[in-house]
Amino acid sequence: MKRLLRAAAVLAALSLFLGLSLGLGSCSKKGDEPKKLYIFNWTYYTPDSVIAKFEKEYNCKVVYDSFDSNETMFAKLKAGGSNYDIVFPSADYVSIMINQKMLAPIDRTKLANFRNIDPLVLARSKDYDPDNKFSVPYYMGAAGVAVNKTKVKKYERSWSIFSRKDLKEKMTMLDDMREVMGDALAFQGKSVNSVSDADVKAAEELVNKTWKPNLLKFDAEAFAKGFAAGEFWVAQGYAESIFAEYDAAKRADVDFFIPKEGGPLYIDSMVILKNSKSQDLALKFIDFIHRPEIYAEFCDAFGFPATANVPARALKKGDMWYKAEDLAKCELKLDLGADLEKYNAAWQEIKVGK
Amino acid sequence: MTRNYGKIYAGPQALWLTVFFAAPLAIIVAYSFMKRDLYGGVLPQASLEAYRSLANPTLLSVAWRTLWVSFIATVFTILIALPCGYSIARSGNQAMRLFLVIVPFWTNFLIRIYAWIAILGNEGFLNDLLKILGLRTNSVQFLYNQGAVILVLVYMYLPYAILPLFSTIDKFDFTLLEAARDLGATRMQALMKVLIPNIRGGLVTAVLFTFIPIFGAYAVPLLVGGKDAYMLGNVIADQVTKTRNWPLASSISMGVTVLTGLAAVIFAATSRRTAQHVVEDSGIGPLSATAGIPSGGQA
Repeated sequence: MKRLLRAAAVLAALSLFLGLSLGLGSCSKKGDEPKKLYIFNWTYYTPDSVIAKFEKEYNCKVVYDSFDSNETMFAKLKAGGSNYDIVFPSADYVSIMINQKMLAPIDRTKLANFRNIDPLVLARSKDYDPDNKFSVPYYMGAAGVAVNKTKVKKYERSWSIFSRKDLKEKMTMLDDMREVMGDALAFQGKSVNSVSDADVKAAEELVNKTWKPNLLKFDAEAFAKGFAAGEFWVAQGYAESIFAEYDAAKRADVDFFIPKEGGPLYIDSMVILKNSKSQDLALKFIDFIHRPEIYAEFCDAFGFPATANVPARALKKGDMWYKAEDLAKCELKLDLGADLEKYNAAWQEIKVGK
Repeated sequence: MTRNYGKIYAGPQALWLTVFFAAPLAIIVAYSFMKRDLYGGVLPQASLEAYRSLANPTLLSVAWRTLWVSFIATVFTILIALPCGYSIARSGNQAMRLFLVIVPFWTNFLIRIYAWIAILGNEGFLNDLLKILGLRTNSVQFLYNQGAVILVLVYMYLPYAILPLFSTIDKFDFTLLEAARDLGATRMQALMKVLIPNIRGGLVTAVLFTFIPIFGAYAVPLLVGGKDAYMLGNVIADQVTKTRNWPLASSISMGVTVLTGLAAVIFAATSRRTAQHVVEDSGIGPLSATAGIPSGGQA
């Protein structure tokens, strides 16, 4: 009797499960399916409103998957289990993906809005993709320094702020090797892509001996929340993260600047994968992004200056934390290949702390 | 006509362990002996490079720090869990108290870490309280240091220690304590010499359940730790996601797995032996045999 009961219970559970999954399965097969565009992008890097407009205009469905670092994006693509159309890698990964023959060439004749892209950005993108054969710039920016002006009254807009002992344990920098090492290299007047042992060593010394003792922590995950909560008063990081934590009324309390010495610059690009099944739709999406009013909408959502798109600058309405001109002294981070190991070793030394 | 269903019943578990434990572990072992691909992943060539780079002094000092933090956190966890387990076992409404121990588990792990950030922050509840009480005028820096890491780790793993301790203490025959008092032991002596040796099995389980996960901690040092909170779990994650050295990440994982595995085996073996010693030496063998042996089997 007991066994019978148990069998009945198991059967009931099974049928419930099967019923549920069948039920769910059946609703998605109604009408003819709109075309789908698969996008693989940084976590919330294209506003929902922009995507909704694109879906409406082209009667398609956009599937937005996100990644949090180039490395995880690349690993997922290499593992092969993906059918993405457009990916948004940073400069160094564009060149890696070109070398690995993962990208489809971009048909420029189908991009009417390509002419809107700032020639200065295109000039910089030559370093990783000459003639933009495989990539279209999406956004150019740099990490900067946010200062809580209610707590820190006088300061210089320079990386030297991290040398200030009076702000000890009130400052954070990103937990990001290329960013922090790049800042130290730029501060010492060196290239952020330097592979000279002496340069890397000097940068390591500066971070380890002078900056780190004044830092509370290296943080790339929650720095904006901590900064907004008043845990620390100076944070090196991305403007959009800080922007998201402050409503318009409180923004006057914060000064965000790109230090006068410059620093590492990034360009995130849109690329089409070679095995994409909707290359036409993908090109339409890329062209759509560079419509001035759409580009302005994207930038306004994050407090960005319209760095990559010139006509969008006149259409922007919202606040922005820095201007495209502030990036003039910054230098694009490039793929260092095997020499990256030098940075790894220095960064381990810094993180472990001796 | 009885058939032996043992193998069929064990099937799902065997499948589960193969797919989610043995196979991933085999992949990690394989990766640790391969050559690194410059852009993440591995090249199909055998290499001992990953194990050679283990012997690097910075890595060893992280390992040492991790060991130290795990040790301190485990000691605190056990010291708090022991009286908790005892009081639950002796209380009239065990179900209610156990329920209260388990309730925090209904909340997501990360949310509980952020809750601690809200409590310990410079503008957090604790600092506010200190200021309202007039004990401090400016904030105390509770967050972003080793103390915060240990505090949150103890909080996170406390239930893992309370539950096994409770279950062994619950089986303990408390009349033994009375007998010890009758024979002249003080209250403390009775607890130390009769209770503790008899719940050794639960203690070992509690230590293993807290020490091993703490040794691999990643999110807690990342979120509440300061600039010196870098632990082995963070090194492994960085090797995979930032420096793209998968073989090194695998070899560190192997090192951690082998070390904790060895520690578990040695710890369990010695504790069983000492538990038996106590039974034989203490002269209360016949009495404690009923209470002591079943708990020893839990390790």
